[in-house]
Amino acid sequence: MENKLHVQDLRISFRTGNGKVQAVRGINFDLSKGETLAIVGESGSGKSVTSKAILGILAGNSIVESGEIIYDGQDLLKISEEDFHKIRGDRIAMIFQDPMSSLNPIVRIGRQLTEAMLLKGRIRQRESKRTFRTFLKSLCDMMIASAAEDAERTRATVSCKKFQQFERKHTELEAAYNAAHEAAAEALDDIEIIAFELEKNTVARGAADRVRDIARRCRESLNKYVVDPDKYKAEVMQNASALEGNFRRKDYPAVLGNLYRLREIMREGAERPKPNFFRMGYYLTFCDKPLPDMPLEKLNEFLLKFLEKNFMDDFISDARRAVTYSAGQCQEHIRAALQELEAARPVFSAEHLDKKQCINAWRKLSVTVRRTIDPLAVSRDSLVYTFSPSMKSELDKYFHGAKANVGILRRHEREKRKYEAIVSKGGKPDWEVAEAAVTDLELIKANLSHIIDRIAEHYQKLLETADSRDYHAETVGVIDCLMQNASGIVDRVTPRIAKHRAIRLMEEVGISEPHKRFRQYPFEFSGGMRQRIVIAIALAANPDILICDEPTTALDVTIQSQILELINRLKTERRLSVIFITHDLGVVANMADRVAVMYAGKIVEYGTSEDIFYHAAHPYTWALLSSMPDLDTNEKLTAIPGTPPNMIYPPKGDAFAPRNKYAMQIDFERQPPMFQISDTHYAATWLLHPDAPKVDPPRAVMDRIARMNQRRETAND
Amino acid sequence: MINQEPLLRVEHLCQYFKAGNFVTKAVDDVSFDIRKGEVFGLVGESGCGKTTTGRSIIKLYNITSGNIYFKGTRIAAGTQSYKDELQTAKDPARIAELKAQIKAARNDQKNCDKAYAAKRMEELKNEYEQKIKAAADEEKVRLEAQYKAELRKARKTRLVTQIQMIFQDPIASLDPRMTVREIISEGLVIQGERDKKVIDEKVYEMLELVGLVREHASRYPHEFSGGQRQRIGVARSIIMNPELIIADEPVSALDVSVQAQVINLLNELRERFGLTILFIAHDLSVVKYFSDRIGVMYYGKMVELADSDELFAHPLHPYTRSLLSAIPLPDPVYERQRRRITYNPLAEHDYTVDRPSFREVRPGHFVQCNEAEYQRIMTELSVK
Repeated sequence: MENKLHVQDLRISFRTGNGKVQAVRGINFDLSKGETLAIVGESGSGKSVTSKAILGILAGNSIVESGEIIYDGQDLLKISEEDFHKIRGDRIAMIFQDPMSSLNPIVRIGRQLTEAMLLKGRIRQRESKRTFRTFLKSLCDMMIASAAEDAERTRATVSCKKFQQFERKHTELEAAYNAAHEAAAEALDDIEIIAFELEKNTVARGAADRVRDIARRCRESLNKYVVDPDKYKAEVMQNASALEGNFRRKDYPAVLGNLYRLREIMREGAERPKPNFFRMGYYLTFCDKPLPDMPLEKLNEFLLKFLEKNFMDDFISDARRAVTYSAGQCQEHIRAALQELEAARPVFSAEHLDKKQCINAWRKLSVTVRRTIDPLAVSRDSLVYTFSPSMKSELDKYFHGAKANVGILRRHEREKRKYEAIVSKGGKPDWEVAEAAVTDLELIKANLSHIIDRIAEHYQKLLETADSRDYHAETVGVIDCLMQNASGIVDRVTPRIAKHRAIRLMEEVGISEPHKRFRQYPFEFSGGMRQRIVIAIALAANPDILICDEPTTALDVTIQSQILELINRLKTERRLSVIFITHDLGVVANMADRVAVMYAGKIVEYGTSEDIFYHAAHPYTWALLSSMPDLDTNEKLTAIPGTPPNMIYPPKGDAFAPRNKYAMQIDFERQPPMFQISDTHYAATWLLHPDAPKVDPPRAVMDRIARMNQRRETAND
Repeated sequence: MINQEPLLRVEHLCQYFKAGNFVTKAVDDVSFDIRKGEVFGLVGESGCGKTTTGRSIIKLYNITSGNIYFKGTRIAAGTQSYKDELQTAKDPARIAELKAQIKAARNDQKNCDKAYAAKRMEELKNEYEQKIKAAADEEKVRLEAQYKAELRKARKTRLVTQIQMIFQDPIASLDPRMTVREIISEGLVIQGERDKKVIDEKVYEMLELVGLVREHASRYPHEFSGGQRQRIGVARSIIMNPELIIADEPVSALDVSVQAQVINLLNELRERFGLTILFIAHDLSVVKYFSDRIGVMYYGKMVELADSDELFAHPLHPYTRSLLSAIPLPDPVYERQRRRITYNPLAEHDYTVDRPSFREVRPGHFVQCNEAEYQRIMTELSVK
């Protein structure tokens, strides 16, 4: 499965008046496409901090000590705020815990919903345009470069030109269709409302404007593939103008009659399936004959055949040649890069790094590594993309640290001398000399060589797997990507379209009377409604990754259930990756594919949801499981005694040891490593060490698992 | 421990809120009893009126119509239903009766506490007058002083103080400028307790009871964690020796591990003092674990009321079924198979001809239904 997000060795602290709070202490996890990862833990365990780091909204007093969060070829901890604007809310969206404070109280709901769509719509359009152009250009270049003979070369040039030409036609057609289709759908919505009001005889103020809007939209919806002008033009025109006239005369029965007729036409138009404009574009550009008159499905097939026979077969074979050629070239570059990396290694592993030498080597390496990027690769290779910036940031840290360390050490020495002088005079100072806060240069050097090792390993692997690559699938992927971006260019989001989409989104999250609600302020909504609005806002920009920070904790079961279903449905429909933060284990069982249990800034147990719920191994997971009543619990609940540790002074050993009745001596002395239980299941507790005594989970947990098995058996019967 | 005597009786409680021309029926004709010593759970989705019911009982609102009896005394009464009837009534005798009832309701609503205080004072007077008469001279002085102090307290006694409330949000419900001692003892002070020593003793006792220590008394609320704050809220409510506690979502704002602590605490207190608790919550697992009987509310109406085991085993009202089907359980395989039943009142019931009413279908099991549905439920039950 495609890996969407990669978090490695993340450490985050907060500067406070009392000292440094170590909120997150080295966590690792991966998130695949279309997967839900649940993070469970008490408040203060660092789960929200992790999610905020992913979204780049950490508080000002935070220090990211180490680690990387890699998304789409970028390290989110190192990119600039401007770059983050393109990701935050657009690719990665977040549903916040408190719906009261995450909505703006003085802006109408509708505006808050459409804000992101309008802002991101233009950027996305621009981006699609850019990707389309550069992609097509590099494809053509590669096609021409890979051609063996002149004939092939000319053919490639011609077909590229052709592709560009009929793409233009495609976008034109699709843009016209989109506009007409949106107009029809909107008109339909409005007609429903006005008709309802007229039937109930309660026409609100401003109805005349809305009627005019309907008439205009009905006229706009005339398009060959929406409301067929040949068939309906006269009728639509006549009804639309009659509508306005009748309304002005207050002849409501006549208005209703017009509305009903228009409603029928619009509904038919809005429900017609969308033709394949890509194929149609080719036909209309290069075939002089008009489109054959046949039903849509047949037409699509006919166009496909036409396209394949005349163009696509050749184009695909050319493109495939290009892709193969480009991959081969890329491999050449990789071999060169590998050599250069080996050559540069001594520069970065010298006793003292030389600034000039290092920067020169970094520049050279960056260029070579960048050259290994395949221009025709659809998905980005994150390691290659992050190589240069992460090297640079480590180098900067090193040279800045090397410079600053001198001063820090001098100051430290001075302070120590002062302290000793006081002591030698017999004084008892009420302060102590703090450790010198020097930068660990050796660690940075280790990091540098680790970065080089990692990319070298990655290259080796690429070279080894080069023979087994499926170039045909890749070619199809390239052409799909081109088509998608072409559709993206015409996907223009106007305020009207945004409103229409927002209303559909509100319906999707279960808000009744969305038209009325659209114009209301947040205070007019109940808590559950507000939370649903927040979810709708998060979904408005159609993100890649959705972070849900306790989205249903404040809601009641029925709404909670609806919202979980909604998130699950969107997850499967849009192949969304979800990070779900909660402390309700019932919700986790419902949502999660995998679960990470966090305690005191560390992941203590990690596995699939079956692993965690049926074969929990960490005492903290046991405690969590047995502290919540389920429907069959009758005995006293086993509450976890005590409180989480103070993270200014994190405990030396296992952080959970003081509250853990299974704690052993070693738990207080050393931190347990992650023990692997099965392929997917890991837990950090000394109980899993081969020398540890065998311990059974508490009775409440055993009972619960037995009950679950029983229930399943009875259900199967 | 549970006996059958109702401690609190709510009859046809209606609570309407007016906003311009629009009337929100937050609670509409809800009736139930709470017996002494039991935990009565009230569940429903947000906005269904469960909190409003709780607040109406403790007289934070003036109720629109209906009666609330606490220990046999009417503590709240509304007049709207009489007024409505008065508009259409023709019979002069009936009109006079209704007018009298409105007057009585107004009087009770306003003066029930005064009447209770007067009753208490009367009792004290009888008790002490005899004692003082019988006592010797030096004893007399002491007794008179005691009588005076008791009388002062009795004058300030309110019946409603025997009902106490624990609020949902432990942060917002404590005054940040008061120390824990002031917060917990505020009720006592209002009741006329002036002896500092007595107050301190009582506060320490309560703190220890809820699992805090004496030193906490002089701290401020912000120095405590969520669970500890909720404990302070509990201590504040039990210092008045209440008979009924209205717990309005006491654990939903807390962390998992702390929720268990607070639930265990409430359970202990209940066993120790024989408290009666009206437990309002939306977490059905907790309600099931904690309550003896459960009432299900939907849009201001009580739709089903039964013993908790009975309700979970045989839910009869479609809304209850939908509610129960929505509970997430910590069991991934079960969760993947779970299908939520949706409840659409318009599709489910046909109340155009026959209005529904609250009927008993089994001993102690009430359902909101009309005649046709009643017959159907009865045949279903007899088949089982």
